[in-house]
Amino acid sequence: MQSNMSSKLAAKLQTAKNLLKSSVNSLGPDREFENLIRSIGECKSKQEEDRIIFAEIDTLKQRLSDPKLDKTRGREYMVRAIYCEMLGHDVGFAHVKALQFASEPNILTKKAAYLALTQFLDHNNELVLLLVNTLLSELKSDNYIAVCTGLVVATKLIGPELINAVLPTVMERLHHPKEHVRKKAVMVLHRFHQLDPRREGSLAGVDIDRSFRTMLCDKDPAVMSAALSALHEVIKTDPKPYKNLVPSFTSILKQVAEHRLPKSYDYHRFPAPFIQIKLLKVLAALGVGDRVASENMYAVIQQTLKRANNTHMIGSAIVYECVRTITTIYPNPQLLAMAAESVSAFLKSPSHNLRYVGIDALAGIVKINSQYAQEHQLAVIDCLEDPDDTLKLKTLELLYKMTKANNVEVIVERMMSYLRTTTDEHIKKDIVRRVSELAERYAPSPTWFIAVVSEVFQLGGPHVESQLAHNLMHLIAEQDEDLHRSAVEAYLSLLDKPKLPERLLEVACWVLGEYGSLAATSSQNNTQAQAVMNKLAGVVKTQKATEGVKGYILVALSKISAQSGCSLTPEAEELVVKASSSQNVELQQRSYELQSLLTSAATSAASLQQAVLPLDGSCEDIDDTEMIRISTLSFLDGYVNDALKAGAAPYLSEEQRTFGGSKSLRDLNGDKGSLKFEAYETATAPSTTSTTFKQNRPGSSSTSSSHYEPHQPVQTSASSSSQHNGAGAPRASGPELQLRGTGKWGPAQFESSSPAAAKASAAAPTHSTDPRHADLLGSPLAARSQPTHVSERDRLAASIFGGSSSTSSASAASIAAAGQRPPVKAAAAAPAARQLAQAPPQRDLLDFDSPMKATESPAPAPAVPPSSSQLDLLLDLDVLPPSAPSSTHSFQPYNAYPTQHLPPPLAGAAAALGGMLPVDLLGGSILASGVSGGTGGGTGGVLPTVLGPASSTLQSAGTGFQQTGAATHAAPFNLNQGLASASGGFAGGMMQTPVHQGIGASQPIADFQYQYQHGMMAGSGLGTTMPLSSGGYPGQIMGVGSNMPPAAVTGMNKSNMTGAPMTTKPGGKPASNDPFGDLI
Amino acid sequence: MTIKFVLLVNKQGQTRLAKYFTEFLTTDERRALEGEVVRKCLSRTDKQCSFYEHRQYKIIYRRYASLFFMAGVDDEENELGVLEFIHCFVEILDRHFGQVCELDIMNEPEMVHYIMDEMLLNGCIVDTNKANILEPVQLLETIDK
Repeated sequence: MQSNMSSKLAAKLQTAKNLLKSSVNSLGPDREFENLIRSIGECKSKQEEDRIIFAEIDTLKQRLSDPKLDKTRGREYMVRAIYCEMLGHDVGFAHVKALQFASEPNILTKKAAYLALTQFLDHNNELVLLLVNTLLSELKSDNYIAVCTGLVVATKLIGPELINAVLPTVMERLHHPKEHVRKKAVMVLHRFHQLDPRREGSLAGVDIDRSFRTMLCDKDPAVMSAALSALHEVIKTDPKPYKNLVPSFTSILKQVAEHRLPKSYDYHRFPAPFIQIKLLKVLAALGVGDRVASENMYAVIQQTLKRANNTHMIGSAIVYECVRTITTIYPNPQLLAMAAESVSAFLKSPSHNLRYVGIDALAGIVKINSQYAQEHQLAVIDCLEDPDDTLKLKTLELLYKMTKANNVEVIVERMMSYLRTTTDEHIKKDIVRRVSELAERYAPSPTWFIAVVSEVFQLGGPHVESQLAHNLMHLIAEQDEDLHRSAVEAYLSLLDKPKLPERLLEVACWVLGEYGSLAATSSQNNTQAQAVMNKLAGVVKTQKATEGVKGYILVALSKISAQSGCSLTPEAEELVVKASSSQNVELQQRSYELQSLLTSAATSAASLQQAVLPLDGSCEDIDDTEMIRISTLSFLDGYVNDALKAGAAPYLSEEQRTFGGSKSLRDLNGDKGSLKFEAYETATAPSTTSTTFKQNRPGSSSTSSSHYEPHQPVQTSASSSSQHNGAGAPRASGPELQLRGTGKWGPAQFESSSPAAAKASAAAPTHSTDPRHADLLGSPLAARSQPTHVSERDRLAASIFGGSSSTSSASAASIAAAGQRPPVKAAAAAPAARQLAQAPPQRDLLDFDSPMKATESPAPAPAVPPSSSQLDLLLDLDVLPPSAPSSTHSFQPYNAYPTQHLPPPLAGAAAALGGMLPVDLLGGSILASGVSGGTGGGTGGVLPTVLGPASSTLQSAGTGFQQTGAATHAAPFNLNQGLASASGGFAGGMMQTPVHQGIGASQPIADFQYQYQHGMMAGSGLGTTMPLSSGGYPGQIMGVGSNMPPAAVTGMNKSNMTGAPMTTKPGGKPASNDPFGDLI
Repeated sequence: MTIKFVLLVNKQGQTRLAKYFTEFLTTDERRALEGEVVRKCLSRTDKQCSFYEHRQYKIIYRRYASLFFMAGVDDEENELGVLEFIHCFVEILDRHFGQVCELDIMNEPEMVHYIMDEMLLNGCIVDTNKANILEPVQLLETIDK
């Protein structure tokens, strides 16, 4: 075929050359056009081509500016200009000439000129204004070719503000006797709709939809087809007004499929296939989520699908479109079965193209019913292993949609291996996003998550969102010592690699700082700590450390030094000294703080350090009441009053300040949509807030970003800018919430930080006793193909698919079981559970729906006792029976732990403080409470006992803070950390919280020094903690409502399935003041 | 469901025809996009499927002797349908030029544009009826002579 074609080509070349010679006259006497074409055709390289075009542009310029321009050659000149433009050169000089030629009477010149204009200009170009009159005269011309030309130009060059100029004429052309004109006029209106889809601009009050409906009934199929395109567009914008057209569309489709159109519309004996495809698309757009409309389509879709067949590619195209429509509209089992059959034909085809659409269609089908994936697993695995990138990528997309807790490891591994090989940045970005999402949602164990995420960081580099880094740190913080130790080791060796991405460096530095002292056995503790310090100090030299990373390093150094009790190594010392003269105030401050802390002559230096930089402090908890007390800042009142008496300016809220600098705060803090404080405003702040205080900051409760500054508001600009600089990483935002909301870590696997359990869950699919699965392993299909390869493919298939089948049944079973389980057997819960058990198909639907709103339902690991698997399920629904036996505490996600959360009013109170309160104070501390629940949970049934003492300690710490604030803060330079630790793991404190963007949170140096000089005591130091920090796990707030009685089960359940947050108050009444609802 | 652009490129990667619908790119943007798209396309083998993704586009291509016909489409488009549309377009070119080849397209690029204007408007396939499409084009030919 190929050689045949090329010989034909050679012959053609000859005849074309002869033709060219004979038509020289029409192309101009100097044969310029012929020469141009020949030289372009013969040139060997892009450079040569560019040279030819540059020469051509010079000639053309000359010709076109010649006053004795030969107008009969206008067409030729225009084509030459089109060539130059097409080959990537600017032909601005020809634009005006093209305008002139457009009004030439010769239709060929005119058409060429218009073509040139549509190629050169877009509707924003000013020259179009000059064209409107000429264009109007074309539209009114008697010559239908001129009218057609005008209409084509109108689709490309008429912008929103010129619609009115041509609209009436175009509307008239809808009734032109020639179908070519009518068809194009419809498409002009289609274009106008695209330019003004809401009918707010030039189309306001114009009923072009009516025209579309009229044109749908045009006797000419081409015009009808154009009207279909237009209607498809308007239906996509808003399907509601067009539901009554469903019968029209179905009857048109029926007629087309039955071959009622003229034979000339056939394409390879298929009746008007492109019209059929378009009709199917329109039906899909009308039938989505509409049962009644869909039911009216079933018959005709079925008929179309039956009539189309795979004998020709175009038949397959129709079949494929039918399948897409079937999976889009309200599902019908019979049609689904037919669609599945067609898909299996696609997947069995040797053609890559058909397999590609087969995979795509399968993804649509499994969204509705996962069972259909089962029979195609081997075909899917084949596509996955195919050398064709496109096919592989499409299959990964399918797997992404099928991912469950029990196959996540295999699928993520596949994605990672693709990520390792691809160089395409767009694809990388896509895969990084998907892997992070799956890892966060379904991670079977923390070890796995840490390994995967670290690799994603390495491979994905700049595409990774900072959120993932914070989640990683958060997760590491929740784990036990063994994991901390292994994380430290992993990151120590990682730091030897060159060119690590910034985010990974931050994580590594944070981990080393927080847990670096764990790295060694006690005997050689000091040398080991020093080695870690040296490593950290070395990072600055070996890696391209940004200011943010340096900040992390400084904090890490101080933490290691404090925890291990040994002094800084010379290298570290050098780094610290260097940082103290850094241009970055942030780094400077950190450096000074660190130095003062380490050289403090106070007798209690060591204990102070320990107190300020506690070991593993990021998961500590603070007491609720203490939190309220701190958040009102009432202990500052005396100081504020004194200052006011001494003549200090009263506090001004952000609105009252006029400095430009404060703006950036708002940018950073407020308008991101990540934290909404408004919803909490209704909550009443505790009365401890003194009036003086309130007076000092009028309106601050409503400004989320204002920032408490007792003195000298002028410093605000400095402070905000320093914070701005320091914000090493973007602030926490929405996505994080998902992880909390869906109970991401919820499944039993979360508990499996113990390797045995992790193994068990990984092994689950293979040892599963699920009948379908057993069936698969012994399936005749597998036996037929080559044994060695098959067993491998089989295993892969089993690990991907096997689990997903068992999942739905297992979860359904456990739902049913949950209904009978004593602790949950509250009156309200039982019906809910029953309801769920009765409606398995719907669950399926949701199961496979977009991951954002899907409730995951992982298969219970076999190692887990039955009661826990039920609980598992409950966790999926983010429900926690408060009366659950303590032995099952280990399966509870931290965010569901009842006693450790701020009740909404408190969160409200905190929020009401607005900008005064550092974001991390709010988010971070709530985080802390959540985290400790999680940690406790992770260690097993000991949780209740752990919690009691912990909170009492904290409380006492808090009290101590209030009473002996001054004493605690004998070293005022460290107000920040001091306060943090005194208030009991005040997670907002910069050294302890994993989510803290750490570095970002700081105190402007000017402020700091001011306070230092004035010997400001603890209370005033709160100003120090305030600065924005990012951190916060706002999601934690959602945990707030989770101590609900079983009665809340229904609400939970429902809200979760619809993607709503699970903030349900104890009464089962949905919390009205949930500020994060829209983020889930 | 829109075809965003149609590109005709020979196997040396030289552009023979480029037509954009619904969105306008500057000369430099076009040049960059075409370069990337063509490079990817030429590196593909017969064993691979006729689609690939590039930036926000899905490229569907078909090879005829030395010429590649490529269509850049959005996500909604039926890949097989577009693949057949390309063939339909080639059949019509074939009928118009009589055994169409690269040189025909080079010599009369405007005719190819006119034919495409009859078939594709705003990136939507409006007509595939050969007689309908060729009628105005052939009328132009008669004027030419």
